[in-house]
Amino acid sequence: MAKKFRPDVDAPEYKGRYYPYDIIKEGTIALVVVSLLVVGLAILFGSPDDPAVTLKEWSTAQPVDFATTALSELNGTSGVAGYGPPYNSASDGQKIGPFPVAKWVGVHIPVDTAQDFVLMPLTTLPDVPALTTGLRVWSAASETQKTAWLDAYAKGTMSFANGKITDTATGAGPVPLFMTELTSMARTGALDADLIAGHGYYTTDYTKPLLFLSDGQWFPSIAANDHLSGDQWGMMNELGNYPGQAWLWLYTMWYQVPPYSTSWAANADAMVWATMMVLTVLLALLPFIPGVRSIPRWTRVYRLIWREHYRATAQEGGASPSREGPPSTPTA
Amino acid sequence: MAAIYSLFDALLPLTSPGHYIQWHWIQISVANLIVIILMIATFIAALVVPFPGRRRRRGGDE
Repeated sequence: MAKKFRPDVDAPEYKGRYYPYDIIKEGTIALVVVSLLVVGLAILFGSPDDPAVTLKEWSTAQPVDFATTALSELNGTSGVAGYGPPYNSASDGQKIGPFPVAKWVGVHIPVDTAQDFVLMPLTTLPDVPALTTGLRVWSAASETQKTAWLDAYAKGTMSFANGKITDTATGAGPVPLFMTELTSMARTGALDADLIAGHGYYTTDYTKPLLFLSDGQWFPSIAANDHLSGDQWGMMNELGNYPGQAWLWLYTMWYQVPPYSTSWAANADAMVWATMMVLTVLLALLPFIPGVRSIPRWTRVYRLIWREHYRATAQEGGASPSREGPPSTPTA
Repeated sequence: MAAIYSLFDALLPLTSPGHYIQWHWIQISVANLIVIILMIATFIAALVVPFPGRRRRRGGDE
């Protein structure tokens, strides 16, 4: 008994005509045309070239926001300080359901916000005896004492006048000096240099200044103005009126819809990644999924592409409709 | 080169603040929308525009 023909799996024997086809010629033409388009459009329109945002810019534009953020880095209440892996062990980090995947991967970009963003940079400032003494006092103090100083400082009102950060707090130990000196340091640009130092002469590692910036109010407001925030489909947007990464629409779409934007929001990065991995596997397995793999046959778009072939076949009284499919690849 | 940039920036002000379209929770930049429309138009054109050289083949080149 003859095996039954399965239209989504079996290929019918091609009995039509063969046409010569020069794939090398077509490939070369496509390469040249696309290359000319890319180079030509790049010359005519360029690309967005906004200068990188710096800690110097931030502390100059909004010194109080900078100092408030610096305090949160020192007392461990900032977003990065409590983020968990890959930066620290303050929490489990991103989870997929009950699975703490970030914790499994571990702390592989260690960031101690108090040390890295505040205390270590301050130690590099030369010729400030009061600061040297303050850092020594801080280092010798107990954790309880440090917490008491930080709490006292947080109760005051911070302001910026005469080029310096001041606070109405009392009994805050060396913390007011730290905030004043760190803000002054940032306003000179020295903090930018310090946070990217130690990564070689030509560094592309801006992790620390970027994390510091992300904890404040100023940097996210710049991103929001340019429609680059996560809840603004920012992943697929570009600066100004330049087209962006439109192909990331599906990835960024999940961030806009519940439950990713509501009950899963704290773990949205991991949940969106997991969703996209599932969809990617489904896409790879498309030829094996009954029903879905039949969509091209049902929609018959191939008949539109190869309409001349089917017209000619019909005129010659050719293939049976139940077994027809796209013609075999023409020979070169 | 600066003059060319100025000319095309005047024609297509790409560096000015972006224009966005908002519909419920969907938000898209006009630039991205134009690119997507062009991609769809290219796809439809690829489906319906005859292959180059088709007439020549029809004439008995096969």
